[in-house]
Amino acid sequence: MTSDRRRAIERGAEGTPLRDHDLKRGLGRAFRVRTSPLRPAGRWLHTNLGGSKVLRDELRHIFPDSWAFFLGEIALYCFIILVATGIFLALFFQASEAPVLYEGSYTPLAGAEMSIAYDSVLQISLDVPAGLLVRQVHHWSALVFVAALIIHMLRTFFTASYRRPRRLNWLLGAILLLLVGLNGLFGYSLPDDLLSGTGLRIAFSITESIPFVGPALATVLFGGEFPSGGLIARIYPVHIFLLPAAIGGLLGAHLGLLWFQRHTQFPGPGRSDRTVVGTPLIPAYALRTTGYLLIISGVCTAFAAFVQINPVWLYGPYRPWDATTAAQPDWYMGWLEGAVRLMPAWDIQIGGLLIPGIFWPAVVLPGLIFTPLFVLPWLDWVVTRDGAFHNVLLQPGRHPARAALGAGFVTFLSVLLVAGANDVFAFVWNWPQPLLLLILQILTIVLPPIVAVVTFALVRTWDRPWASTAG
Amino acid sequence: MSEQRPDQGERRHVATWPAGLGIAATVAGAVAFVVAFWVDASNAWIGGSLAFALLGLGLTLAYWGRDLAGDQVIAGRYPIPPENTEDQSAALATQLDEHASVLTRRGFLFKGLVFGIGVFALSQVVLLGALGPWPGDSLTTTGWRRGRRLVDSEGEPITRDALATGGFIVAFPEGSDLHQRADSQVALLHFVNGEFTPLSGRETWSPEDFVAYSRVCTHAGCSVAQYADADQVLLCPCHQSAFDVLNGAEPISGPAARPLPQLPLAIDDEGVLYAQSDFTEPVGPGFWNA
Repeated sequence: MTSDRRRAIERGAEGTPLRDHDLKRGLGRAFRVRTSPLRPAGRWLHTNLGGSKVLRDELRHIFPDSWAFFLGEIALYCFIILVATGIFLALFFQASEAPVLYEGSYTPLAGAEMSIAYDSVLQISLDVPAGLLVRQVHHWSALVFVAALIIHMLRTFFTASYRRPRRLNWLLGAILLLLVGLNGLFGYSLPDDLLSGTGLRIAFSITESIPFVGPALATVLFGGEFPSGGLIARIYPVHIFLLPAAIGGLLGAHLGLLWFQRHTQFPGPGRSDRTVVGTPLIPAYALRTTGYLLIISGVCTAFAAFVQINPVWLYGPYRPWDATTAAQPDWYMGWLEGAVRLMPAWDIQIGGLLIPGIFWPAVVLPGLIFTPLFVLPWLDWVVTRDGAFHNVLLQPGRHPARAALGAGFVTFLSVLLVAGANDVFAFVWNWPQPLLLLILQILTIVLPPIVAVVTFALVRTWDRPWASTAG
Repeated sequence: MSEQRPDQGERRHVATWPAGLGIAATVAGAVAFVVAFWVDASNAWIGGSLAFALLGLGLTLAYWGRDLAGDQVIAGRYPIPPENTEDQSAALATQLDEHASVLTRRGFLFKGLVFGIGVFALSQVVLLGALGPWPGDSLTTTGWRRGRRLVDSEGEPITRDALATGGFIVAFPEGSDLHQRADSQVALLHFVNGEFTPLSGRETWSPEDFVAYSRVCTHAGCSVAQYADADQVLLCPCHQSAFDVLNGAEPISGPAARPLPQLPLAIDDEGVLYAQSDFTEPVGPGFWNA
């Protein structure tokens, strides 16, 4: 019908009923006036999706503005980059520990016996065109991903946006942090180089240390006593399918809740728990956020181009009797590594049964950190009894207790992170290692409360002059 | 959705030159990327040009969007306002109960349903058993047996002449594969005569001052691969545990709590070292039924 009418207009036929947009289009053609390509796009959307009232509203979906709200977007975009680069890598990676003699272009390893997995990572890194770039983008964006998640979470904590009605979304975010960190660990374990193989050996030992179920859990999960020969093949589907699907699903739920509830906003003119002020999705927000996706991609690519990361060909293949010095995991596992190093040699013997010392820092401590993290919104309610709905954020500098708690927690993890590289620091500063270890052990216990108390005092002092006026 | 546009009449336009510059950078970066890939240039060229293109396009869009955002601030209502929270949740609860109480009203059947689902979910746990073997004796035994000879990393048997006094090498059971080598690896040390005093009960384990300790760290299972011969300690590079080789490989610093197990050695007529037996205790990190 439409094309008939258009032809009718072009022929100049009379008596054809004209609609407004047909007339405009016809006139546009006649006078070479540009018509927007968005009009047919909008019509297509309605005719194929329906529900144009809903769509019309969502075009103007309001996003409050703040640089702080960009942090979660960084994490989201890192996930997208990881999926894209991960698909490329999966085309070449081979998850097998069967031995093979190296025949690639890296001469120092010529003829060396290695696993097929390590061989395929060397091939990606040194022989596949742009393979090294894609591998390094993948690794760098994983590092940025966890960093963005943590800073996003800190922002959420200090502004108390985890309160009702966003308790569930905080929980989803905390689970995401756990899964993303775990998948990062699995990811850098896949190349089967000396460093990652050593890391998996430690993971086996940690699993073994769990009371009652440890030994059985370790051999069942790792496919036998380490190294079982089938572990890489087992981690691979978890790394590229199971966990990414879980992360993607949780991210969808996280964003779905955000969309449905609208984003929180900082206090400002016209803003309240009832009224949201911000930029509309189309066009301003969509343009900006697409730009941010590309900028994050660009930054990760620039890192990958100019800053080498995880040069596995230098580490050599994993052989259980080899070892490297200055062996550090990726940064987001550093606190765990530090805790394991700081823990004194306390094995607990009960009758003939043993709880190895590594159980406390490697199993109990993560539990002690993640459990309160998961239930934080409910803990907050227990303390404050604040069950009301909040859409306006708190100013982080106005709540001494919350600020003190957060600062102490961050300090604790930071000391552990430093301890994770204590051998490197001892070497660089030329300090005796046992002395540095003792200092770090003391700091782990003493520094967090000091930082918390100082933060509490400072925030309360700063707050006073303007707290009374701002009410 | 109610919507207000504060500056509806006034339309600003994005400054053309920064956006134009960004688009030009994108095109230039994309062309450079293709060329760099084609001539197989270095990682820095391929990645640098790609990053240039991505940043050019990204900055253009972000700049344009930011410019628009300035005069497109709108206001609307939150879908879940704080007022009437109690009333609304009560209304939802009532409605849910109205529609779904046909299920819960059949108390016995509903509980049975929940129970059945629970039993089914638990039953799926047995699939975990398909994943791997049970530990058996794999964690408490190694590749060492009575009479098994010590070989070096090339598989050559180690004779008394192969290792000078003060020396330190890694040794494995003869004929072991990579898997066996993992938990059977030992640090073989040859002490100066009179330097090493065996622990009681281990007097016959160190013929001619040859001593072998498990190289699997008792803390987290890394290879105790370093030997500081000045201090005569074995060092684990993973978490910096140190073991005193003159005193039964007792841990002297770091997080390891138990000594490295010692392998009972002997020397045959040809001068080749061999094991008297397997280790007398489990090697490596501790576990529950140690």
